Amino acid sequence: MSIIIYQAKKIITMNPSNPEGTHVAVRDGLILGVGFLAELVGWGEYSLDTSFADHIIVPGFVEAHAHVMAGGMMLLPYMGYFERKLPNGETAPGIKSYDELVKALKSIAADLSDPDEPLVAVGFDPIYFPDQPRLSRHDLDKVSSTRPIYLHHASGHLATVNTAMLETNGVTKDMKVEGLGRQADGELDGELREPAAMACCKTGNRIVQRINQTEQALRDFGALACNAGITTCTDLGGASILAPQLLDMWQEVTAEASFPLRVAQYNVPAMPGAAAAFDEVADQFVALRKQESEKLRFPGIKFILDGSIQGFSALIDEPGYYSGEDHGQLLTVPEQFADWLRPFHRASINVHMHCNGNLTQQLAIDTVEKILREDPWLDHRHTITHAQLTTQAQLRKMATLGLCANFFTNHLWYWGDQHYDITVGPERANSLEPCASALREGVSFSIHSDAGVTPLGSLHTMWCAVNRLTPSGRILGEIEKISPYEALKAVTISGAYQLHLDDEIGSLEAGKKADFAVLQEDPLSIDPMNIRDIEVWGTVLAGTKHPAAGQSSR
Amino acid sequence: MIGFTVLGGYLGVGKTTLLNNILRDNGLRNTLPGEGYGKSRRIALLINDFGDINIDAKLIESQTDNQINLANGCVCCTLTDGFTNAVETLLEASPKPDHIIVEASGVADVNNLSQYGHSEELKLASIIVVADAETVRRKASDKYVAKTIQRQLKAADLILLNKVDLIETSEAADLGAWLNELTAGVPVASCVKCDVPMSLIFDLESHGNNISDEAHAHEQYSSWSFSTTKTGTRAALETFMQGLGSDVLRCKGVIVDDVGNRLTLQVVGSRKEIELQASEATTNSAADKAVDRAIGIELVAIGMSNAFDTAKLDSMVKSLFGDAD
Repeated sequence: MSIIIYQAKKIITMNPSNPEGTHVAVRDGLILGVGFLAELVGWGEYSLDTSFADHIIVPGFVEAHAHVMAGGMMLLPYMGYFERKLPNGETAPGIKSYDELVKALKSIAADLSDPDEPLVAVGFDPIYFPDQPRLSRHDLDKVSSTRPIYLHHASGHLATVNTAMLETNGVTKDMKVEGLGRQADGELDGELREPAAMACCKTGNRIVQRINQTEQALRDFGALACNAGITTCTDLGGASILAPQLLDMWQEVTAEASFPLRVAQYNVPAMPGAAAAFDEVADQFVALRKQESEKLRFPGIKFILDGSIQGFSALIDEPGYYSGEDHGQLLTVPEQFADWLRPFHRASINVHMHCNGNLTQQLAIDTVEKILREDPWLDHRHTITHAQLTTQAQLRKMATLGLCANFFTNHLWYWGDQHYDITVGPERANSLEPCASALREGVSFSIHSDAGVTPLGSLHTMWCAVNRLTPSGRILGEIEKISPYEALKAVTISGAYQLHLDDEIGSLEAGKKADFAVLQEDPLSIDPMNIRDIEVWGTVLAGTKHPAAGQSSR
Repeated sequence: MIGFTVLGGYLGVGKTTLLNNILRDNGLRNTLPGEGYGKSRRIALLINDFGDINIDAKLIESQTDNQINLANGCVCCTLTDGFTNAVETLLEASPKPDHIIVEASGVADVNNLSQYGHSEELKLASIIVVADAETVRRKASDKYVAKTIQRQLKAADLILLNKVDLIETSEAADLGAWLNELTAGVPVASCVKCDVPMSLIFDLESHGNNISDEAHAHEQYSSWSFSTTKTGTRAALETFMQGLGSDVLRCKGVIVDDVGNRLTLQVVGSRKEIELQASEATTNSAADKAVDRAIGIELVAIGMSNAFDTAKLDSMVKSLFGDAD
């Protein structure tokens, strides 16, 4: 029963009753107390660890909306526009031109021994090359005319392939699939849009689809989280119900002492848009929850109710999209959603609902109100996740109903300019991710990365909520900025709250898990514009140190 | 190639009723001359929920969580694991189905879903959208699903307007005009309890009298046919196809042209297609040639009795192909 007392330059607890200290005492993975050393020695014999004496300790970050895909995507070569941090701490450069793209792909192809092995890469996004002709098979043919190449786009909705990939899969210009991109002369241009067309190039598409189910994807997911100071991360769209054969592997990997992360898996009960016998799924879920372990938890269920704003497939209300063609669509029949939700709600299972569009969100809110009338459960903490276009009226109603929000603040940076100029226009772009309004109206909220859609990194996510800056230098909605303290709260205790784990994690408090993020600087006193650049030493999970890649364990 | 039909329509319009009608029907046979002619067809139904489907327990040969195999050769699969997985499983099965019907969710984009019908091994036969005569206009202005419903109706090759017994005749005329304007003339088949001739959805029986039997069984539908042992031309067949109005809900034809190619015409509502089924070079067996000599030109069509302009069809074929035998 050894006691370790960690000394820090400052400890921010997010426990309002005991907000700060310089030391934290840990026994058996749990916190004994936070304060000055003199307030902790009474617990008995201890060893003092001073390795964080120059660091700031905050509660381990809680990422309430990410996917194991963040790890899976690391296993494929990266061709994105922004640089990307790798699990080993190195940085993959951003690709800024087609020439760089061809060069990078060529060098990867040179390392493959089998000449027929498909080359599959990820992360490309045509939205960042508006002045270039659309990337086509001819560009990729410059890499190889014989090796099949499949370039998966960042959106997940598109791919560009070379001629060899089309030929290997027997895809010809005579096929009528709408999503097959064409040149002016009717020949295929190598772009594949949406699943039906992407599935035509099976030999590439399958590799992308299956990579997230590998053991290494999970390991990389853990490493990326640790590098970002995250100690609890959701896999919000987990497969343990649809693909139960993966569960043993997940149990084994997460149980390893070196695995640095608590994973909170929110399983999808059916493929998006498909129905299932949800009452039976609720029973399966209750059985699954009995298999929870220290680092693998099953707090609830996830439903995906619409598409994305930048894909014009989120369902938004009047006056609709600013420009672009409206493909907004629900993935549930409105009248049926209560039947989908009810079995989980009745079994006291927390539900997170993906709503990008505010009209979709209205359906979710109204449906929760309906089932609450039938089955009162005041502490449900059901959560609207993404919630990007939440209106003021919706916030008022969410507060009344006890609904939480999880805002996708990373959008402000990654697509903020596009939302202002193209998708929803100035007024709605300025009120995207309305954190300050949620605070004012009393809606408990977290903020997220949706990794691998954007990179895992709670400091970056905080930075977005605090600064609301876009790459072009715009501030989107000054009035919706929140303070660094409120942003820190959103990525710690408020994240834990909507996972029903706030009694165990999310703040540093006697009796809770000794999960810390160890930072080089104080996010509450640093220039807010530098929050995202704070160096992360790593984490402490249940009292055990896990240095980020590139840090020595000391 | 495996025929692929997308069955769309909102919650409660009668899609399940139609699926039950299909399952009950035993007369689904291959009607294209050539290999497999006259054999019963293996229909695979991809459905959202087994719960609402009526399956005679005596017909069930085997069953898993996601699949039911029936003695009449039909297969029912659920879509719980997703559409692509379900189709993949069907294509890997032996024997493969002859025709796949996917029941789209009430809010699905049927046009997107139909794109799978152009992929390897599959051939898109039709997009059938069922609409509820009583509620379709209200749903088409609903705040959540208005655009979805409108998109579905516009994407349809053929609309089955169900529950017409629940509206007045005057309303029916209004509704027809509204649908016609919204969809730019997608053909509409009216029905009650989705009771329509199966030949609207599957290949028509162009030999024998199945179609007129069916039309008799559905008195609001009539059939028309034309047959001659003379040969025709592709150009004439195309002119005929282009001339078909929205009163023609379904049409099928086989012609042997002047150089010995066998062409098929397939029309389901607004989806119209001519395909080369066998070229002169490949129909060299004595049996095939005998079939072709017997065919010449055969055309058959179905329409609603109260709107079917068969006189127009008669005059078209007379000018294009001459008199019937």
